[in-house]
Amino acid sequence: MRNWMLYTPLAIFLGVSIFLFTGLFSDPWTRDSALLNRPLPEFDLPDLMEPERRWNRELLTGEPFLLSVWGVWCPTCKAQLAYMEQLKEQGIKVVGLYYPLPVDPAFGEHFSLGQLQRDVRQQLQQFGDPYQFNILDENRRMSMDLGVSGSPETFLVDAEGRVRMHHVGDINPRVWRQKFEPAMEQLQSLADTSVQQNEASQTGVGY
Amino acid sequence: MIPELGQIALTFSFALSLLLGILPLYGSYTGNERALMLAKPLAISAMVFAGLAFFALCYAFYYDDFTVINVATNSSSVLPWYYKLTATWGSHEGSMVLWVWILTIWTAAVAVFSKQLPLLMQGRILGIMGLIGVGFIAFSLFMSNPFERSLPYFPAEGNDLNPLLQDFGMIIHPPLLYMGYVGFAVSFAFAIAALLGGKFDSTWARWARPWTLAAWMFLTLGIMLGSWWAYKELGWGGWWFWDPVENASFMPWLVGTALIHTLAVTEKRGTYKSWTVLLALAAFSLSLLGAFLVRSGVLVSVHSFATDPSRGVFLLVFLLLVIGGALLLYALRMRSVRSEARYQLFSREVMLWGNNIFLLTATLVVFLGTLLPLFHQELGLGTISIGEPFFDAMFFYLAIPFSLLLGLGPWVRWKQQKWQTLIPPMSMVAIATLVVSLGMMSLTQSIQANTALIGLLLGAWVGMSALGEVGQRIHQFGQGLAGIRKLNASHYGMTTAHIGFAVMVVGIAMTTTYSVERDVRMQIGDSVTLSGYQFTLLDVYELDGPNYGGEAADLRVERAGRLITHLHAEKRFYTIQRTVMTQAAIHARLNRDLYVSLGEALPGNAWSFKVQVKPFVRWIWLGGLLMALGSIWSLLDVRYRRKVVSRVRRSHTITKEAEDA
Repeated sequence: MRNWMLYTPLAIFLGVSIFLFTGLFSDPWTRDSALLNRPLPEFDLPDLMEPERRWNRELLTGEPFLLSVWGVWCPTCKAQLAYMEQLKEQGIKVVGLYYPLPVDPAFGEHFSLGQLQRDVRQQLQQFGDPYQFNILDENRRMSMDLGVSGSPETFLVDAEGRVRMHHVGDINPRVWRQKFEPAMEQLQSLADTSVQQNEASQTGVGY
Repeated sequence: MIPELGQIALTFSFALSLLLGILPLYGSYTGNERALMLAKPLAISAMVFAGLAFFALCYAFYYDDFTVINVATNSSSVLPWYYKLTATWGSHEGSMVLWVWILTIWTAAVAVFSKQLPLLMQGRILGIMGLIGVGFIAFSLFMSNPFERSLPYFPAEGNDLNPLLQDFGMIIHPPLLYMGYVGFAVSFAFAIAALLGGKFDSTWARWARPWTLAAWMFLTLGIMLGSWWAYKELGWGGWWFWDPVENASFMPWLVGTALIHTLAVTEKRGTYKSWTVLLALAAFSLSLLGAFLVRSGVLVSVHSFATDPSRGVFLLVFLLLVIGGALLLYALRMRSVRSEARYQLFSREVMLWGNNIFLLTATLVVFLGTLLPLFHQELGLGTISIGEPFFDAMFFYLAIPFSLLLGLGPWVRWKQQKWQTLIPPMSMVAIATLVVSLGMMSLTQSIQANTALIGLLLGAWVGMSALGEVGQRIHQFGQGLAGIRKLNASHYGMTTAHIGFAVMVVGIAMTTTYSVERDVRMQIGDSVTLSGYQFTLLDVYELDGPNYGGEAADLRVERAGRLITHLHAEKRFYTIQRTVMTQAAIHARLNRDLYVSLGEALPGNAWSFKVQVKPFVRWIWLGGLLMALGSIWSLLDVRYRRKVVSRVRRSHTITKEAEDA
């Protein structure tokens, strides 16, 4: 056996450890959503606080925003409220998609809307309210179409209503800086230029 | 008070392991016999103190000491007492204490049962085990302290144990699995000691063999039990999921299997020396890698413990020291070794070479399948997932040549085999194979050319060949039935394990091909027929358990108008953890399982059910049990209890054995 060959196991092991090391600092739960770069699924759902008001895909387009899937029953969602409120103050549009319990239809009654609104209002007052409004995912169909596997999950949606990023887990300063901020800035600048172009073309038509 | 005593005991165990890692190794280089003599008492006392720490933790769990954070997060006062005890190893922190205790038990066992080892060798082996112990105890003490208190503000009630873990399987699956994982530390220590000593004669292989067999036996049982547990507990009837953590236990098992076989070559023929050392290092390295994957959170799995990166960094540094150090030592020391044995192309040596090639290819497949998603993501290529289809296809293609080889291997002699002499017995085996597999096929289903037939043929080939080979050996003694007693235990062990493999192959092939399942909506009184079994829903009622509620369903199963059994399926809702768990109803027979799980309540007083008939699924675990039984049988061989003879006589016996075989 050649002597250098004896070092191959060591070399392989060291190579693998580099990946193991970098793997420690990245989130294994990130999955490229099947919806990436596709439009949001169609939906027609009531507002959580004003149920007579209804939301659909077309009403949400126009500017990039965060679609945040959450619920009062989810501790991590509660923990991210304060930071997300700061984002709102920075001018980020956040729309909530409320995911109601019970988890299993076999147990307990269907949720009561009045109680739910009270719980939500109380939690948002106490921990911070980042949401422009909340959409109630009555039968959890929308979450299913989005491929939500747990809460909280956040989708970055561009001005045309296409999903540009999918994040599983809470939004915190680190995640925001590393993951969302660059993409958000890009989308916003795109939205600005397209608005300018629109204006330009409109003025062009005017001539 | 008791938890503090536990922590002190663990600290003592740490200090003793540290001494064990320093003194005997120091003694082995300075020739200080007294330092070497210290190895045994140090190993035993480290084991005692680690055991005390473990029992202190058990005590805290048993008496609901919710001031201990670990108890509060993983147990509750309404949990039945036996699950309170098993909750001790239900969390990362607690399972590390169990791991540490088992490691010290192995170390102490080596100290007690290695009287025949030269003092120098014994000191080195125990010293290395001590150093490994230092790493793990430090990890437990400093990175994941199981005894941490939340005084003065502690919860009045615990968070309950994860319902998945509230099962009989939890009582023995982790201890057995850890016995296997950690047991390879002994083979590892033997190999390192051999590297340090620079002597690669067959003696180290002979000493390491029983320890490796024992570790392999535990790992086999642990994996089998895990598979059986998942089958009955996860509620949809799968028995292997290619989950990253299952794979993490499967890799050391595959390499361990290869190691058992090459240890035989190294011991009997004095060849494959450097390869065997490498395998011994690899088996434990893969165990460590498995521990890292489970406990660092780099991979997504149902088994993962909640983690933070600092733990992962600690473990990775430990991995680098242990595995990196071992492989560096291997590279530095191995250059002087030459294999002197000569053998022909058609010989037992080459057969076992083939065995190793297939087992290591399988390991590589599992390794890549498990870690490619990680590599892919870290290289910035996006996320991919590798699932069952990849593994299933790869293992299907690997199993065919592997089984063919396994049927032939035991018949082939060391050094050289004339192929002509094997034609008559092998044709007999081939005929028996055809008869048996076609017979089994016609008993169960119509004869079809499909995966099941291939599986049956391969299984029957391995099984018939193993039986035939034993028969031929006994016949060769020429003393009729008295020959049964002349064949040594390790030969019977090997044959049993090979038959176990055959049984498992048949089980896997039949289950995957002929399982039928149906999702049905049933009201009380409705019935559904599957594979000739008629399932009738008799009643559905409320459940009232100690820490769960939910629903239960009673079903009656009939076949051709004859009552087979009553089934009782449950769907539990664990109130503290707010989790739904399916308790499937299983009626097990050697040739089939009936498997019913209760689903959701549907509108109109109906319930959804998943009904399955799974032929031969028991054979999978039966095969695993036979493999474990085979290794126990081998361990009973008198050779392992005989005192080591002097070197001159040893080499003489080796050549004699080679001629015998």
